[in-house]
Amino acid sequence: MAAVQTTSERVLNRVAIVAVLVVTLIFLAPIYWIASTAFKPRNLATTIPPTVVFTPEISPFVKLMVRRSQMREQPSAEEYAAAPWWEQMVMDGGEKVVRDGKGEVQLSGYPNRFMNSLIVAITSTVLAVGMGTFTAYGFSRFKVKGEADLLFFILSTRMLPPVVVAIPMFLMYRAVGLNDTHWGLIILYTAFNLSFSVWLMKGFMDEIPKEYEEAALVDGYTRMQAFFKIVLPEAATGIAATAVFCFITAWNEYAFALIMTNRRAQTAPPFIPSQVGSGLPDWTVIAAGTLLFLLPVAIFTFLLRNHLLRGVTFGAIRK
Amino acid sequence: MTQIELRNIQKFFGPNQVMKDVNLKITDNEFIVLLGPSGCGKTTTLRAIAGLETIDEGDILIDGKAVQHLKCSDRDIAMVFQSFSLYPHMNVFENIAFPLRATRMSKGDVDRSVREIAQVLRITDLLDRKPSALSGGDMQRVAIGRALVRQPKAMLMDEPIGALDAKLREDMRAEIKRLHLKQGSTTIYVTHDQIEAMSLADRIVIMNDGLIQQDDTPAEVYAHPANLFVARFVGSPVMNIIDAGVAMNGTGAKVTLKGADEGFSFPAELVGKLDAAKGKAGQLALGVRSEGVIVSREKQDGYLPVEAHIIEPLGAYDIVDLKIGDEMLRARTRTGFVPAPGERVYARIDPSQAHFFDTASGNSLGIRL
Repeated sequence: MAAVQTTSERVLNRVAIVAVLVVTLIFLAPIYWIASTAFKPRNLATTIPPTVVFTPEISPFVKLMVRRSQMREQPSAEEYAAAPWWEQMVMDGGEKVVRDGKGEVQLSGYPNRFMNSLIVAITSTVLAVGMGTFTAYGFSRFKVKGEADLLFFILSTRMLPPVVVAIPMFLMYRAVGLNDTHWGLIILYTAFNLSFSVWLMKGFMDEIPKEYEEAALVDGYTRMQAFFKIVLPEAATGIAATAVFCFITAWNEYAFALIMTNRRAQTAPPFIPSQVGSGLPDWTVIAAGTLLFLLPVAIFTFLLRNHLLRGVTFGAIRK
Repeated sequence: MTQIELRNIQKFFGPNQVMKDVNLKITDNEFIVLLGPSGCGKTTTLRAIAGLETIDEGDILIDGKAVQHLKCSDRDIAMVFQSFSLYPHMNVFENIAFPLRATRMSKGDVDRSVREIAQVLRITDLLDRKPSALSGGDMQRVAIGRALVRQPKAMLMDEPIGALDAKLREDMRAEIKRLHLKQGSTTIYVTHDQIEAMSLADRIVIMNDGLIQQDDTPAEVYAHPANLFVARFVGSPVMNIIDAGVAMNGTGAKVTLKGADEGFSFPAELVGKLDAAKGKAGQLALGVRSEGVIVSREKQDGYLPVEAHIIEPLGAYDIVDLKIGDEMLRARTRTGFVPAPGERVYARIDPSQAHFFDTASGNSLGIRL
């Protein structure tokens, strides 16, 4: 594709490239801010004007992971020398690492919350995409009585802003004991994502020619085998795209996580801001937590990028 | 050794009956073509035999065994689809091996079978490619390979070359014929292209509106169409079909086309045969193919004067529209025989190529002169 261009078109092209670069920089600026803050010493985090050149350190990540408390008095030289390097980093900030009676290091709330986020987001994504794929296949391939109505009903579950039902959900969850449990959040997020997953997957399923399965049926396979051997590989693009969207929704969800959980099953989103409130906030630790929190989505999206790009345009150019 | 028989098959899609009492017997190694316009029920018939479509009444027998309640996977039939339906995520080898993998054949046997069939189809060097990297003709070869590889009882083909361009279609037609002669499997082939049907079939089954219109050899279907539908559907250019009146005139019969002043001469026995066939005057149509209209530039005995209207030069011959009475008669002439439109020429009809139809029922009266 190298169509003939006039001079003005070429100039316009350059301008467009510059404009795209500027917009990209604007979009990336907050991420840079978070990333740089996560590696700053605490005293440089809030300087005005902002410090751009500094020696990066990983003490914010260490502080993020362990439970700390203010030190009343400076540690002795022996105490300091005896401590491992990461504990010295905490001591440098005027804090000490909290240990239990057996001398074991106590972890902060963050690793737990992060694990909770992973458990809830991955499980609910697998459930929503799995159920959505099967449902979409059913709608796409078989005559379902009242198909249009059922599909509309599925979609209509998205029409209410979820927070509207937060209070009744909270009361119901309390009654059945799902408050502050992994399954509570998993069920909730699966329910959110299911309608989206069904609709998106239905579009992809409709695009897979029926003849593929019919060929497999005639070739001696059962419908179930045809589904797993033929339809599923063909739907991989759609599944990847749907999974990314479902995962992002579940991973980022804040309101319900805040209301429905407090300790055992709390996810990272409500936890990170809660660290701001206690005393003078250590912004470097919060930035470190935020940066780590960004990674899984970035990695997941990066791994599926080929599928995702195809998947997004796939839906866009449907006849 | 496979025989397929359809007995009194009825099939409805909602209120529409798409197969009306279809009866058909296919013998071993026969190449049958189901021919008809779109929506005539030919593809439904094929899919019913494959098991992709249920039937509402009747029996489908394969080797004498009723199979209409069996799943497609249990009928041991292979099918080639118009869209080829090659699995895009598998390479050519895997595509062809796919039906064998369902049978739990050993790895070595699968490999051997696939390579054998690839050799027959001359696609051995394509085995590692993905379907997206194949040309249309090669895709179809792979699809045929996938159908043939497990040596099914019968092979069903649903417009297998309909998606190819004209030149490739011709090549593939010859290839399918070659394969059939070589492999000799019972084949049912669906198409709406009468040229494909004529060139491939041992027997053509013409369908319209869910009904079998005629079931005969290509030559017979062409030479003696059973009714007006078949007459119009088979042959290019389309057969001339014009309402006609028949009367005795001295020693011979005269066939006068609608709106014409004079009639064409026919042997006297026509009248007797018409009477025997209970063909009533006024409900009669004459059918004659363009090669049955004989054109002369000079006035001769038995020729009627006509005016040339449109001339279509087709290279090997011309098709000339001749105006006679209210109607046009299309004749096939030598190239350049009629020099220009508007020319006055003379025409007669070859009685041995004339067909007579009852316009009320549409059926041929079966008169051969």
